[in-house]
Amino acid sequence: MINFFWASLFFFLVGALFYKKSKASYLLAFVGSVCALLVGIYALNHSNQLFRMSLTTHISITLGLDHLSALFMIIASIAWIALALFSVDYSVFYSKSNLSLGFNLALSGMMLILSARDGFSLLIGWEIMTIFAFIMMVTSGKHYDKAYRFLAFGELSTACLLIGFAILYQSTASITFDALTRGGSVILIFLSLGFIIKMDIVPFHGWMRGIYGEMPDNAAAILSGPVTLMGVYGLERIIPIMPINDSWNLVIIILGALSAFWGGLQAVAANKVRLLPAYSTIENNGMILTAIGFYALAQSITNPDLRYLAMFAQAASVIIALSHTFSKTLLFMSLGHAKEAYDVHTIDEARGVWSGVGKIPALGIVVSALSFSAFPPLIGYVGEWMILETLFQSYKFPNISTEFIAALSGVLTALAIGLIGFAMIKLIGYTALGYDHGRKSRIISNRFMNGSEAGMLLLVILCGVALPAVITLLGFPQLLTSLLDVPAPFVLASNQPIFGVISPTLITLVLITLLIIPVILFMSKQKNVRKVSSWNGGLPLKEEEYFTAQAYSQILEHILRNVYRTKEVRTKNRNGIEVEDIMLKPMNWLTRFVQKIGEGEALVLMNGIISVYVTYILLLFIIVFVIGMMVM
Amino acid sequence: MRLLAGVIETDGNEQLLIIEDGVAQLFFVESEEQRKEFAYYSLLKDRQLHLRNESVSGPGVFRFRYGPVTAGVREAGCFNLYTFGEKILYAGIDLSWKHRRVENAMINKTPQQAVNLAESICSNFALSHSIAFTRAIENALDMKVDMGVQNWRNILLEAERIYNHLHVIAKLASAAAQKVLSSHLSSLFEEALRLNEILTGSRYLMGINDVGGLHHIPSLEDMQHAITTYALISKRFERLFVHSVNNANYMDRLHASGTLTADQAIAMGLSGPSLRACGVKDDLNATISHLIQLPVITQNEGDALARMEVRAEELVNSCEYIIDHLKISDAWNFNSDEKIEPFNQSGEGCGIANSPSGAIAYYVAVNDGLITHAQAFTPSYVGMCAAAFSLDDHIFTDFPFIFDSFGVHFSDAAR
Amino acid sequence: MLKWWPLFGIRRHLTEKRAYKSPINIQSHYGSIFQRSLFVYILDVGSSNALNFEISALESPQYNIHRFGIFLTDSPRHADVLLILGRPTEVMLAPMNETLNQLPEPYYVITIDDSCDALMMSPYPEMKHHVAQLKGVPSPSEILGLLLAISKSKRIVL
Repeated sequence: MINFFWASLFFFLVGALFYKKSKASYLLAFVGSVCALLVGIYALNHSNQLFRMSLTTHISITLGLDHLSALFMIIASIAWIALALFSVDYSVFYSKSNLSLGFNLALSGMMLILSARDGFSLLIGWEIMTIFAFIMMVTSGKHYDKAYRFLAFGELSTACLLIGFAILYQSTASITFDALTRGGSVILIFLSLGFIIKMDIVPFHGWMRGIYGEMPDNAAAILSGPVTLMGVYGLERIIPIMPINDSWNLVIIILGALSAFWGGLQAVAANKVRLLPAYSTIENNGMILTAIGFYALAQSITNPDLRYLAMFAQAASVIIALSHTFSKTLLFMSLGHAKEAYDVHTIDEARGVWSGVGKIPALGIVVSALSFSAFPPLIGYVGEWMILETLFQSYKFPNISTEFIAALSGVLTALAIGLIGFAMIKLIGYTALGYDHGRKSRIISNRFMNGSEAGMLLLVILCGVALPAVITLLGFPQLLTSLLDVPAPFVLASNQPIFGVISPTLITLVLITLLIIPVILFMSKQKNVRKVSSWNGGLPLKEEEYFTAQAYSQILEHILRNVYRTKEVRTKNRNGIEVEDIMLKPMNWLTRFVQKIGEGEALVLMNGIISVYVTYILLLFIIVFVIGMMVM
Repeated sequence: MRLLAGVIETDGNEQLLIIEDGVAQLFFVESEEQRKEFAYYSLLKDRQLHLRNESVSGPGVFRFRYGPVTAGVREAGCFNLYTFGEKILYAGIDLSWKHRRVENAMINKTPQQAVNLAESICSNFALSHSIAFTRAIENALDMKVDMGVQNWRNILLEAERIYNHLHVIAKLASAAAQKVLSSHLSSLFEEALRLNEILTGSRYLMGINDVGGLHHIPSLEDMQHAITTYALISKRFERLFVHSVNNANYMDRLHASGTLTADQAIAMGLSGPSLRACGVKDDLNATISHLIQLPVITQNEGDALARMEVRAEELVNSCEYIIDHLKISDAWNFNSDEKIEPFNQSGEGCGIANSPSGAIAYYVAVNDGLITHAQAFTPSYVGMCAAAFSLDDHIFTDFPFIFDSFGVHFSDAAR
Repeated sequence: MLKWWPLFGIRRHLTEKRAYKSPINIQSHYGSIFQRSLFVYILDVGSSNALNFEISALESPQYNIHRFGIFLTDSPRHADVLLILGRPTEVMLAPMNETLNQLPEPYYVITIDDSCDALMMSPYPEMKHHVAQLKGVPSPSEILGLLLAISKSKRIVL
């Protein structure tokens, strides 16, 4: 097993070396990812140490795998496999850039994160992932200003982790994960903040608005899926072993719920093909964070009633993380396929994927978006049912403030799910199922693209249909039970005695027998069918007469105009409405402030007079020295 | 006030048809100043079929085409509404779908034959059209029309006003989902149409008016029946109207929808109830000599509600007008068999009539008893423009209230 | 003060009880399948507006067409009868054909031609199930009689 781990890292590194030959490079990444998957599957039941190297007496680099990291490695590596395959075809659009270099090394960074047993190796993996994700982002050679924001947030996350581990080292003289059990609340807050920032939780999502539309699709998919998954992994890693802090848990819950609501809200108003799924990422990660917060909260109270809830909440967080990674990878791949085939950016321009681009990308968009809008029996439905079911059981908590916050986050999450459904219908209706206006996409080689999309599509459906298997694989077989005539592993229960249940497997059977088979029978018997175009006042619709995607969501933007800060623009050549993400305000303000300071500093200090500059350097040195002395 | 009703081009000369103090006159254009006096000069001159034919662009903005086949506005016509969702940014109207070239068909017909064509421009304004047309012919051929004929024409014009106003108000009530009100109003509308049939033999007052006279006049019993029925209609309408204005729901839908200021209305060349609803007193009532003067009803708000109120008051006044006239035998008693013969066989002239929705004007040129040039200027043409203008910046839900309140018709506007 | 409409509405009985006679004889192809409900779509292709007003009058409570199961529908896809008003202008021929194309089988087409002969409008194209051609401006009771003849409704109130 250990050989597969090194093989995987080896393939990623070789792939990075071959970045000039991008197809080969991606194929190597594919092989590496398959190795990672095998490692993950093996490590599910066999935890062991992989590597250990002492740097100093207290600090060493330790790599190892246990059940949790194996779980996340499986989830992540499946997304990597799909993305690597997808990128083989996709690379033709960016053949002359170092996109594949960033791809391979970001993957290896994530491998390090997942296998890290101590703070030092985690930070190394974290930095590698952040920097090479940034490299992927600026691969087009433009938009550096927007990409730097990503880097700034990435480094903020690293800084939080660094501070957390530094305090840990100060208090316990060790930075291994085992030492975390002895850490205090401050460490918990810094570490979890570091992970939360990586999950793009509001208000740390500021970098995405400008850059998401500009980067390559596989980079967007990596950033949205596996990279945020690392944040989830970090939280899942530290929360069970760190000491309990109830108020911080409540902050996490409310932050997650707010983030979910905000992501849903902004996704509704998004009109760019890439921005809508990006905000959906915020929404999903918000729900994951809420579930994790509940898990931590329920775990802290020694009430047998809450034992089950803690386990259920943890399962909910993992299921949503899994569903988000799979569905989002599929969504980004299908949308990227369509977007590149049409060479467009907005939802309106990418209409008619089914007839214009292909059936597989269209199906991919439909299935993944349906999964996000909680359509049974897909895996997204299970995740969103689980989070709501968790929140329903908030009455079990002993104190009123927890109940209140839980109820509040329940409201926000429910709104978020509704809003994201609205947004996803917009996405499906316009891109996948829209009318193509006779446009045909440019011809691109799409064998690998179609293959990876089809595989991912089947996986998203299968994960829902074969939910008992997935739940067992994730390590929560206790949640499965039987009810009435449905036999034992096919019912997922949110409590014992039973509070709420679902059985996607049964839903699938019912759907097939009562809907799909009758529809097929009905369709096959229809002989007298006349196909006509849609009725539009007696004339066929012209392209400029189609209802636009912006118009679809305009009514919501108008009703919630105080939240969206909806503005109407009426000039001669440009009419429309503009919405604003006010959560970006602090970041924009900070950017401007730093810019001003920088400009001012440059004017005062770097004005060509050498003595001023030397004084400045000297002063800085003294300050650093004094601070260093004080700390020592 | 001076109202430019139409612009006529004949053999390279341009004439303006101007209504002043109720008298329509033709003026040859001698200077640019004359044209500049009327902001709507080019609109009347061009007689376009695509009104307000501009486009609006922007992210998410699209053209919402309503028509040419719709169940809401049943007539064949098309609205081009530019929108980014709920709000109408710019409204244009395409009249070409109902352009039947009626005026062209009048050429080389005798005036008597052409009356039918004038009536078929817009059958619910059939009498206004035929009166404006026959007045133009009478003007051109220098015919003096009997006072009795004139009185009958006035009485029947008011009958036309009654059923048209009832129709508009019933439509507004139906658009506001006031089912009881709209059902009662449409029953009154049907009563008015039946009464028309009793009085003239046609539910739309077609075929009664002719050049120089009337085909027939109603019998005494029919007049007696009309007096009682119009009294009943007026009474029932007043009760319904009082009841309806107490309904906040209904008033809310009409209030502040499609507001026009007096200046805007004048600059667009509006006439009739739409203009009077903006607080401007026009002199269309003076187009005829009345035995009993009709008051000019105005409102100040200029919105759909004001237009509805003007129509409601006019309706009641018209009922009284007819009743009063039918009670005085001097008003209707004349010998309809005496036909006036034309003095000339050639000439040109104009005529106007105060239709339910504004001034209808005709210009005709006759040579040797055959029409050589005919032009009809209808209130719906400028009304359509005004309706489209007032649709701007309203939401789609306001559409029926604004459009219906102008009482305009595609067949009238497209000719 | 807000007054209450329903009381106002039911005080008066406006529906007339009489027989409506069809102006022409109808040869129906489909037997009595429209006996209980008949949905009519109105299509104006160039009438002089009198027919539009007659349809409005037909909707008045005096005729109360709903008691016979006759309804005016907002989409040709729901229609059993297409009632074409007027003779088509040249540009309206295409929308008219599209409307005919949208009608679900079985359906009937009725045309009412109110145009002056002097207008020289184009003739009706060949249409399937064109069961009735009326001339002039028929009264609402004649139109209703025609629709009742098509639906073969047994619910004619005398």
